[in-house]
Amino acid sequence: MSYVQIEHLSKTFHGQHVLQQLDLAIEKGELVTLLGPSGCGKSTLLRILSGLTAPDTGMIYIDGKDVTDVSPKNRQIGMVFQSYALFPNLTVSQNIAFGLEMNKISKTEIRLRVQEMIELVGLVGKEQAYPRELSGGQQQRVALARSLVTRPKVLLLDEPLSALDAQIRKNLQKQLRTIQRELNMTTVLVTHDQEEAMAVSDRIYIMNGGRIVQHGSPQEIYTQPRSEFVARFIGNYNVLTAEQLNRIAPNLSHPAVERFAIRPETFREQRLAGEDICLTGNIAQVTMLGNITRYELNMGDVPVLVDTLHLSLEQEEIGTTKTLYVSPKDVIPLYDTIA
Amino acid sequence: MKRFVSMLWITTIPFFAMIALFLLVPLLSMIGGSFQAEGGGGFTISHYREIFSNPYYLQAFENSVLISFLSALIGIVVAVFAAYAITRFPQSLQQRVLVITNLTSNFAGIPLAFAFIVLLGNSGLFVLLAKQLGIDFGQSFTLYSWSGLTLVYIYFQLPLAVMLLYPLYNAIQKQWMEAAELLGASPWKFWLRIGFPVLLPGIVGTFSILFANAMGAYASAYALTGSNYNLVPIRIGALVSGDIFARPELGSALAVLLGLTLAGALLVNEWLTRKIRRDLS
Repeated sequence: MSYVQIEHLSKTFHGQHVLQQLDLAIEKGELVTLLGPSGCGKSTLLRILSGLTAPDTGMIYIDGKDVTDVSPKNRQIGMVFQSYALFPNLTVSQNIAFGLEMNKISKTEIRLRVQEMIELVGLVGKEQAYPRELSGGQQQRVALARSLVTRPKVLLLDEPLSALDAQIRKNLQKQLRTIQRELNMTTVLVTHDQEEAMAVSDRIYIMNGGRIVQHGSPQEIYTQPRSEFVARFIGNYNVLTAEQLNRIAPNLSHPAVERFAIRPETFREQRLAGEDICLTGNIAQVTMLGNITRYELNMGDVPVLVDTLHLSLEQEEIGTTKTLYVSPKDVIPLYDTIA
Repeated sequence: MKRFVSMLWITTIPFFAMIALFLLVPLLSMIGGSFQAEGGGGFTISHYREIFSNPYYLQAFENSVLISFLSALIGIVVAVFAAYAITRFPQSLQQRVLVITNLTSNFAGIPLAFAFIVLLGNSGLFVLLAKQLGIDFGQSFTLYSWSGLTLVYIYFQLPLAVMLLYPLYNAIQKQWMEAAELLGASPWKFWLRIGFPVLLPGIVGTFSILFANAMGAYASAYALTGSNYNLVPIRIGALVSGDIFARPELGSALAVLLGLTLAGALLVNEWLTRKIRRDLS
């Protein structure tokens, strides 16, 4: 049995199935991300895991124990909320110490553990500050310290970085991952940001419509999407029907599935191997995305996105014919038709 | 843009004119009058001296402060729980309860006193009903007494307190409760450590309003007890209307002291709040 195991979990709100017969397993010390669009049930799953929402059916095990009916305060779970939920009338130190005080830890130990946490999250000098005196990033770190100080078995992060600026978010992603690894903390992160999920996770569970549609390492998820939904959600994949693929690459032999996905960055301007497929199309649109130039090519009435590194200072003009190559390995058959 | 802002300023002229005419002028006239000798004479502090040396006026202040403090305290304690209970109702029911509360908060003065007389007066509905059941109210409770007056005060304080406190509960984020619960706090501990301190400035502010509301209440008390009960507004009313003979200057001095009492209460409340909620400093 895994360290955190969820079996056949279902939840209905007002007759609507939010979670449907969901199974999930997390190993000790892993950082698992629940990734999906808004309303897919990822936050509900997190709340059920924390005990703040009760499931309709299913079982939850943590560290080998059935905690399905255990109250939130007895589950030994730490949680960082999207809004941080810091107590406004308490200082940074008092916020962090709150959980220890509730668990009747001695004052000396509280002082030590609070100081240790403040150092870990890099808030030395801010001990006596109130939440309103801190920046968003600092508040987020207080919330993290407050959840970690009680030494929970599992740490739950509900979109903790979504309210922050891009630059701060990236810094905190790194910091979060470093702390999680340092403490070997089993962590579940909820996010709808694919890049964030890729950057910090050991494994990603992709959710849609209350179900898990695919799970695996970030590398597996990105390079081997099994469905159109995953291909479109995880990146800017070109999703083509079998008929469209036959039209642009008539000589390519492929499995008998309905749809195929090709990553925009797998197209090349040179042939690297003999089996590479040669494709030709007219440039319909050019978008400069900083280090990447995105071309929308019209290949026999099939729109195809192509990403190239922004090496040349001059962009190719709309209407120009472009010849590109792609490896047959990068034409991914989408076997799952659901979701 | 500048022209637009200037136009906006012009539209505020009626507002400031109303404030000046109906607030500042009467206030200054009252303060001036309190230092004027009777019959339009020169400057004097004799009215203040008279108030502080006359046990009758001191008793009026004592009674007013006592009934105001007591009714505000009972009102606020009950309203803290009542307003929270309302927030737990379904949304549609909350709106209905608030409409009723709003209506009752505006039911004051002579109609309120009359309603109490009809229900709990010497021949009141409930008093007669209780007599039929063999219970004599008169043994323990009379509407025209201190406790009766306090009951009427509490009645008009309570809905006002609920109306003022109800929105405060929106400041308590559900996620604070959830975070506290996950950290091992019981609901009681959450309210003690987080909820109540967050609400405290609002509670104290509401208490100040209730206290001021009761200090200035005149019609209900007058309709119920006439001038039998010695309260500052009733004394001011008597001195201004001249039941025996008019002494508006002395009335003004009483009114100035009434205003100072309220200002003092506000300052004490503010100071106490800042002592407890250091994050607001």
